[in-house]
Amino acid sequence: MSASQSAVRSRAEAVQVSRTFDWMILFTLFTAVLGGYHIHYMLTGGDWDFWSDWKDRRLWVTVAPIVSITFPAAVQACLWWRYRLPVGATISVLALLLGEWINRYMNFWGWTYFPINICFPSNLVPGAIVLDVVLMLGGSMTLTAVVGGMAYGLLFYPGNWPIIAPLHVPVEYNGMMMTLADLQGYHYVRTGTPEYIRMVEKGTLRTFGKDVAPVSAFFSAFVCIIIYFLWHFFGRWFAKTDFISDDAS
Amino acid sequence: MKIIKDKVAKLSFVALLLSMTAAMFYTPTASAHGEKSQAAFMRMRTIHWYDLNWSKDELNVNETMTVSGKFHVFAGWPETVDKPEVSFLNIGIPGPVFIRAGSWIGGQLVPRSVSLELGETYEFKVLLKARRPGDWHVHTMMNVEGGGPIIGPGKWVTINGSMGSFVNPIVTLTGDTIDLEKYAIDSIYFWSFLWYAIGLAWLLYWVKGPMFIPRALAVQAGKADTLISAGDKKIGVAFGLGTIIFVAVTMGTTNEKYPVTTPLQAGLMRGIQWLEIPESTVHVKVEDATYRVPGRAMQMTLTIHNGGDTAVRLGEFNTASVRFLDPDVLEDESGYPDDLLAEEGLTVSDNSPIAPGESRTVNVTASDAAWEVYRLADLIYDPDSRFAGLLFFFDADGNRQMSTVDAPLIPSFM
Ligand SMILES: [Cu+2]
Repeated sequence: MSASQSAVRSRAEAVQVSRTFDWMILFTLFTAVLGGYHIHYMLTGGDWDFWSDWKDRRLWVTVAPIVSITFPAAVQACLWWRYRLPVGATISVLALLLGEWINRYMNFWGWTYFPINICFPSNLVPGAIVLDVVLMLGGSMTLTAVVGGMAYGLLFYPGNWPIIAPLHVPVEYNGMMMTLADLQGYHYVRTGTPEYIRMVEKGTLRTFGKDVAPVSAFFSAFVCIIIYFLWHFFGRWFAKTDFISDDAS
Repeated sequence: MKIIKDKVAKLSFVALLLSMTAAMFYTPTASAHGEKSQAAFMRMRTIHWYDLNWSKDELNVNETMTVSGKFHVFAGWPETVDKPEVSFLNIGIPGPVFIRAGSWIGGQLVPRSVSLELGETYEFKVLLKARRPGDWHVHTMMNVEGGGPIIGPGKWVTINGSMGSFVNPIVTLTGDTIDLEKYAIDSIYFWSFLWYAIGLAWLLYWVKGPMFIPRALAVQAGKADTLISAGDKKIGVAFGLGTIIFVAVTMGTTNEKYPVTTPLQAGLMRGIQWLEIPESTVHVKVEDATYRVPGRAMQMTLTIHNGGDTAVRLGEFNTASVRFLDPDVLEDESGYPDDLLAEEGLTVSDNSPIAPGESRTVNVTASDAAWEVYRLADLIYDPDSRFAGLLFFFDADGNRQMSTVDAPLIPSFM
């Protein structure tokens, strides 16, 4: 296809072709991000996202936002600077969650029979929407990193609380107090995940007593800012077209 | 045009495959049959399981059974494996086919990891409630941090019925009775998909207009600022503020609905009670030990000294969960798994009672196909070619004493 010879003959046809491209690119982007983000999130967030008895007030709150703000930042960089589309974070998170739900439903429940109430994925949507809205309103990477990244980290725990709160109701079991989530982890046997590798409620934030979740969320939010910058640059670099010569267009 | 269309279509297909692969990437470990692949020295010199009892071979969904017995934490624990300072009493089953309704070591409930002492023997019990029909191999199992899973003997157990009828009723400290099998699933779906729908709505708002090519052209032409209209900004503010307010409100309503919640519980349990076993009065010294590869037999020369006050005979050699018995002295009545039981596998050159105060040197042969089947013979290829196990001596009244052996092993290929 060369510049002098147009492939379309009318404006209507051009609009139609352009729309076809929209859908194809959207679908490709969605599935490609799903694949890459999914693998990334499973390798970095892993057990914290897989199991209800890992979703604690310290490490899950800290780890999940930090490792999940990556792809949203990168995809935002591409979609905003090239197309002014403020949907990069939302599209990434929706793609990831679709993959996660397929995985949890088909593998964890369908194949290994863990009830969904122990292996559901974390909710990342509220943070993603706010990240996109901040980018759209401010149009600035720095502002999005600072305000959006902060919001992304802070919204994570409250955004998941309605989902996990029922599982944090305490129960007395054979003379020990535990939460229903702990009991799920004990009841539903995981031969490959012994109790000692469960990284929950560990850390040095002891002086904050009961209010450790907000402190962890703030810490996570600060790290999210840094990770946002880093991955935003990855995204920009990845979305470069320098390697396609101009002659081809 | 067509070429590009084909290319994009092809690329989409590749991306689809990639994402499917990713979705299939992870399944929680369901296998419980690693027992044979574990290095022989791990099984011989770490945890010795004995006096095991599987209370049932067959049961219905919702019925319970126990796996109980003792385990001896071997004093000659290998250097290459971390000491069992952080260990977890697990159960080797293929995923949650049973639920673990309880597990105890020395009478203490052990939902968490525990610290074990080398050289001590512990009593344990695991209570299982049948959940999923099928034939399952139920192994004893101890996970040791830095050492991995140490799998004990397995026995086949059949569960009948249907998983649909499985219930797991629990009374919470707030006084509610719930079925943990189905508890909160509706609300998990509700909140997850409600948020997914909100995210999708934001995405669709932008998808409804022209997306990639016209917008890219506009950006290139320097008209980027025209691409976000005042209307878009209003919608954006609504979504952004709406999200924050909705999160805050639902957090409040959740706290009203669940006023009592506690953090997850974790932590190492120390001071687990071991069995007080009087020190054995039978002392065993291994003079030499060879493994004859063609005969699938281990020969040991033992000097046995009876320091007690009744005469004793050697009845059993137990290593890596394989039990070699001398049928004249001991018969198994516990229904121990056949493949791990060599009922006539132990021959002693002179197994007449050893009188109190007597010392005797005997040749002991432990032979059975289990050496090969359970790959214990691979021991001779281990970096530290030692064998270890438990010897059980019996007096005329059936009183039992246990001695441990731990010595180098020389292979013989002829
Ligand atoms: Cu097995």
